[in-house]
Amino acid sequence: MTRTFVLTNHKGGVGKSTSATTIALGIAGVLRRAGASNSRVLLIDTDSQGHATLVTTGRNDFGAEDSLYAVLAADRPNAAQVLSQCIVQSTWDPDLHVLPASPMLEGAERELMRVAGAPYRLADPLSRISSHYAAIVIDTRPSFSLMTEMGLIAATDAIVPVEPRYLETIGLMSVMSKINDIREGWRHPNLRISGILVTKMDKRVRGHNHLLDELKGHSVLGKLLIGVIPANEAVSYAHHNHVSVFNYDPKAPASRAYAQLVGTLVRRISKGGS
Amino acid sequence: MPPKHNSRRMDELLASVTEDLLEGDPQHFQDNSIRVERILLEMVRPDPVQPRRVLPEQLHLAFHSSRLTPTQALKELVHLVQVAARQRGRPFNNVLELLPNSDDETNDEQDTKLSPEEQLLRDLVNLAVTIRDDGQVNPLTVVDMSEGVTRQFRIETGERRYWATWLLRDFIPSYDGDGMIPCIIIPSDRSSVFRQAKENTARSGLSAIAMARQAALLLLTVHGYQIPDSAVPNDFYRQALELDLRGKREYTDTILTAMGGVEKAQFSRIKSLLKLSDESMELADRHNIEEFRLRHVVSVSTEYHAEILRQIIDFNLTAKQVKELCEGSDLHVDEENPSEKLPTVAVKMAKVTQSVSTLTAQDLARALMLQEADPAIARARLQALQKLIVEAERLLVSE
Ligand SMILES: Nc1ncnc2c1ncn2[C@@H]1O[C@H](COP(=O)(O)OP(=O)(O)OP(=O)(O)O)[C@@H](O)[C@H]1O
Ligand SMILES: [Mg+2]
Repeated sequence: MTRTFVLTNHKGGVGKSTSATTIALGIAGVLRRAGASNSRVLLIDTDSQGHATLVTTGRNDFGAEDSLYAVLAADRPNAAQVLSQCIVQSTWDPDLHVLPASPMLEGAERELMRVAGAPYRLADPLSRISSHYAAIVIDTRPSFSLMTEMGLIAATDAIVPVEPRYLETIGLMSVMSKINDIREGWRHPNLRISGILVTKMDKRVRGHNHLLDELKGHSVLGKLLIGVIPANEAVSYAHHNHVSVFNYDPKAPASRAYAQLVGTLVRRISKGGS
Repeated sequence: MPPKHNSRRMDELLASVTEDLLEGDPQHFQDNSIRVERILLEMVRPDPVQPRRVLPEQLHLAFHSSRLTPTQALKELVHLVQVAARQRGRPFNNVLELLPNSDDETNDEQDTKLSPEEQLLRDLVNLAVTIRDDGQVNPLTVVDMSEGVTRQFRIETGERRYWATWLLRDFIPSYDGDGMIPCIIIPSDRSSVFRQAKENTARSGLSAIAMARQAALLLLTVHGYQIPDSAVPNDFYRQALELDLRGKREYTDTILTAMGGVEKAQFSRIKSLLKLSDESMELADRHNIEEFRLRHVVSVSTEYHAEILRQIIDFNLTAKQVKELCEGSDLHVDEENPSEKLPTVAVKMAKVTQSVSTLTAQDLARALMLQEADPAIARARLQALQKLIVEAERLLVSE
């Protein structure tokens, strides 16, 4: 089964899209360099804002026919074929493929609200093409909407990016309980919380250090810490230039931290462990 | 924008991660094993140069030049068979009606009269129903041809199962599968015409024409010809007529084994079938005419091939009858003058006119009597000749 990482947090601007795109690129690059027989990675953008789509493809003009929207609108027998036809190659790397978002996704959520089986409209077709990919990465919007639910149901591993400001246990626990709801409510035992990723960490801020220490010491959350990405100007410059931070400045602290995270994830992919 | 040299440094960064990962086990990620996976039907494509064809020629070409989708191709096939069945007074609406009905005693009799298309569709429906009832199908063997974002697998063996699954999906009610088909996936660098040939010849029902195409493919391959990825005209295979095993001794055994262990002589007889005209090749393939009945046809001028084939099919001629038909006629190719499309006899007669002066009427009369042994027939021959000469002379003027 293809490991499918979903980056999720109902808080906005915590680094979901940055992490999703960077991780996806990194996994493809590392697997290829390791000589893997399959190093393709699929990035799925479920956010109608389409930031991940824009930076990885240079485009934001995907619509009813050629985006995730088309997949959600397709009837079941055709959905997988529609999905595979909507996938485009990223300008970042030939092995990075993107299922683009579209502003129309906003409407899709309303349209599908009362449709039976709606939450499976991504998971179902995706399961029929997933074997083609070494890994899949899903970016979500900052809300617990139907769209995010679809992303979670399609995933095997949830990664929760979080800023040190929001490290309050309460907030994190509510994300986790939502993921748990999905797992139980949708009978989706394959979905697990794979890690908490601290982003925009500034060591000079005393509060940040304090919260990170607290997290590390927490009996449950501490074990889930999967990486710490420093706050780094290179990330926002890269974002503005529609390139990855790896490419913008490989020596930047954020690049190194993301590279380390990629190593951890690839190890999980190849070992099939947690 | 970032300076250009950064992409090299990004390489270094990811390479260091990779190094860490591979530490102690450099081969960890290299998995070139052959996988079995369920693949979406739409991503699987039959091999356009596969010698063993499933669809009738016209549909085969239309399908492989992307003028028909798989569903449309099947629709055409069903339509074709419906028309034929209607003419025979057995119209049907649902393809399931094609299956033999065990209560119906007259069926055995009708079986023998099925056209090749009817037989094909009936076989496919049969296979489709088996797949539906068993809930599974033996995996196809496919070659991974994926490139960029396009996922594509080319069938090496199992094209019938592929069409049967489409038929099941789109033409047989009560299908509730997910539109996927199990496949043994072979990496593209490991695909092999030899393996395909072996699989083809190991199974029954490979027509002599398919064998000829198979022989051609193997010869062309070992002689370094590029095998295209689209439907090819027969002339493509005919290039093999100029090639032989002698040129590639090191491959001789491999080729003969792949052809099902035939002798060299039989191999070249099979290959010679490529000399048949396009139309006769199609007829022979569709009606599964054996090599021993076809071999005499190739020595005859191509313009007569189709007609002879029709006679073979209509009257179910034996090899001996075919031989007589071909040898007894004036249909032979003039070996010396292959570019001229004139019948050999005409050329011979023209030659004879050059030596009339050396001929006496007496000798001719005697020779005729010797040949025909009947003065009436000999006279008839001469009169026919006379008539021919007069007409030929008239044509000379108008030319
Ligand atoms: N490590 C970092 N250092 C500095 N800036 C960062 C870092 N990570 C992300 N950013 C910046 O923070 C902003 C928000 O990041 P991003 O878009 O990845 O978050 P998001 O969670 O996807 O947001 P949204 O909820 O709106 O989808 C962006 O401008 C991005 O460049
Ligand atoms: Mg985002």
